[in-house]
Amino acid sequence: MTQTQIIAARLALLAAILAAWALLPKYGVLDPRLLPPLGDVLAMLGKQLARSQVQEAIGVTALEVVVAFVIAVPIGAAIGVAAAEFEYFGQIFKPMLFYVFSVPKSIFLPMFILIFGIGFPQKVAYAAFSTVFIVIMSATAAVESVKADHVLVARSCGATKAQILWRIYVPSMMPVLLETLRISMIFNFTGVMIAEMYASRTGIGHLIANWGENFQMPELFAGVIMLSVVAICFNEAVRLLEVRVSKWRT
Amino acid sequence: MTAIEVDRLSHIYAGAEGGVPALEDISMTVEAGKFVVIVGPSGCGKTSLLMMLAGLRHQSTGTILCDGRPITDPDPSRVGVVFQEASLFPWLTALDNTEFPLALRGTPRDERRRRAEDMLNLVGLQGFGARFPHELSGGMKQRVSIARGLVQDPPVLLMDEPFAALDEQTRMTMGHELLRIWSKTRKTVVFITHSLTEAVYLADEVLVMSARPGRIVDRIAIDLPRPRTYEMMATDTFGKLRERIWQQIRKPEGTLS
Ligand SMILES: Nc1ncnc2c1ncn2[C@@H]1O[C@H](COP(=O)(O)OP(=O)(O)OP(=O)(O)O)[C@@H](O)[C@H]1O
Ligand SMILES: [Mg+2]
Repeated sequence: MTQTQIIAARLALLAAILAAWALLPKYGVLDPRLLPPLGDVLAMLGKQLARSQVQEAIGVTALEVVVAFVIAVPIGAAIGVAAAEFEYFGQIFKPMLFYVFSVPKSIFLPMFILIFGIGFPQKVAYAAFSTVFIVIMSATAAVESVKADHVLVARSCGATKAQILWRIYVPSMMPVLLETLRISMIFNFTGVMIAEMYASRTGIGHLIANWGENFQMPELFAGVIMLSVVAICFNEAVRLLEVRVSKWRT
Repeated sequence: MTAIEVDRLSHIYAGAEGGVPALEDISMTVEAGKFVVIVGPSGCGKTSLLMMLAGLRHQSTGTILCDGRPITDPDPSRVGVVFQEASLFPWLTALDNTEFPLALRGTPRDERRRRAEDMLNLVGLQGFGARFPHELSGGMKQRVSIARGLVQDPPVLLMDEPFAALDEQTRMTMGHELLRIWSKTRKTVVFITHSLTEAVYLADEVLVMSARPGRIVDRIAIDLPRPRTYEMMATDTFGKLRERIWQQIRKPEGTLS
């Protein structure tokens, strides 16, 4: 298949799903109480976005996501790079990190509530916690993706430590780093949502949990669409960048 | 004039039971403009020696002089290095790869470009500057590596099995090309290879190393006329020289001639 054909097929798939969503509930093939037609959901989305309570919740959630991300990524990257670069540090800490990485982070949520209470700090702390391990793992992988041969060549060309870092490490690691950014955002976003849905007074996750409990399906799906669009946009933006900096990787 | 002078160099890699002796009492002198080839069994320390000549690794004892001054750290203005393969930076174009050593020194962009382009022309890659390494053949990649090694115009070029990863035909062509480049630039070349034919074809002098710990067990002057031609490979002299090197290499460990 040519590229155009593939894109056409993808658009057709999307259109088919949206059409099914719009039509099947309308004609009673699917229960509209469980899956309201797309049109109703979009109308509800517009209505909700106009409400100040929803706007406020979006603001809170966005801030939590950003703050948790800004905390988790540098800390995780620093630990990950250290684990890869400093042999002893890595040998001592790596197994522990791997163990904790394998445990589902949500089981620690009650602890975060006990420590931080319910609110902004608890959401941020929990989301950062659930993100930091994937950042550590990926940063380690990123450092390990730097080829020793390339470092050697750079040294033979007279590169200083700083030049090796900037001209060899950074470009070698960039594709993996962007991938890390993308994947850790998924973890981070999930962390905030879980924390908000579990126990919260505000935020989109809290609203979605409420709508679900009260069987407000159009609202619930409006929330789902809203979050999906934001998540997909971030993901695709980073991925575009990733493709651009990894051109040489083929 | 002497380009490289190695005096009683030994090296022991740290490890169990006092370490691994890799090189033992290596002394050698390379006259400026000469093409010297080092051969020896796998693991005899050829790469280690080359790394020390390049200032990339410190020997346990002994000294290395290049242009009369000791080598302790990499100095691309005195010594250029070409490695076996895949040593180009895949995220840089052929031109940017060639420029790399100059960029490190902060050479102005225009001059950098000009010199890198000159080098690419010299190695026969005019018009390929914008290609990325994955868009080049193995032979072309090694041409870029040579261009990069020469871009700072060092008097000495070190090459560690630069053509080992190439197919035989490309390898022959590259050897021939290298001689052309060498005769144009009059560099001092130290070249490591496992191919005895390549060794005889390229060298003014072949140094034969023994198995671990590596020592120089023979120095064979190759007095074939230059420019070398493929036809020479079929001559008696060529065969005899090749045979002599082979006899030295296959000698059991520990016997000195
Ligand atoms: N970094 C190192 N640490 C410990 N031992 C090493 C190291 N590098 C090389 N050696 C050992 O030193 C000896 C010489 O290695 P070297 O790579 O110099 O040999 P070589 O002649 O280049 O071999 P080849 O022909 O296979 O390339 C080998 O026995 C090798 O195992
Ligand atoms: Mg070697």
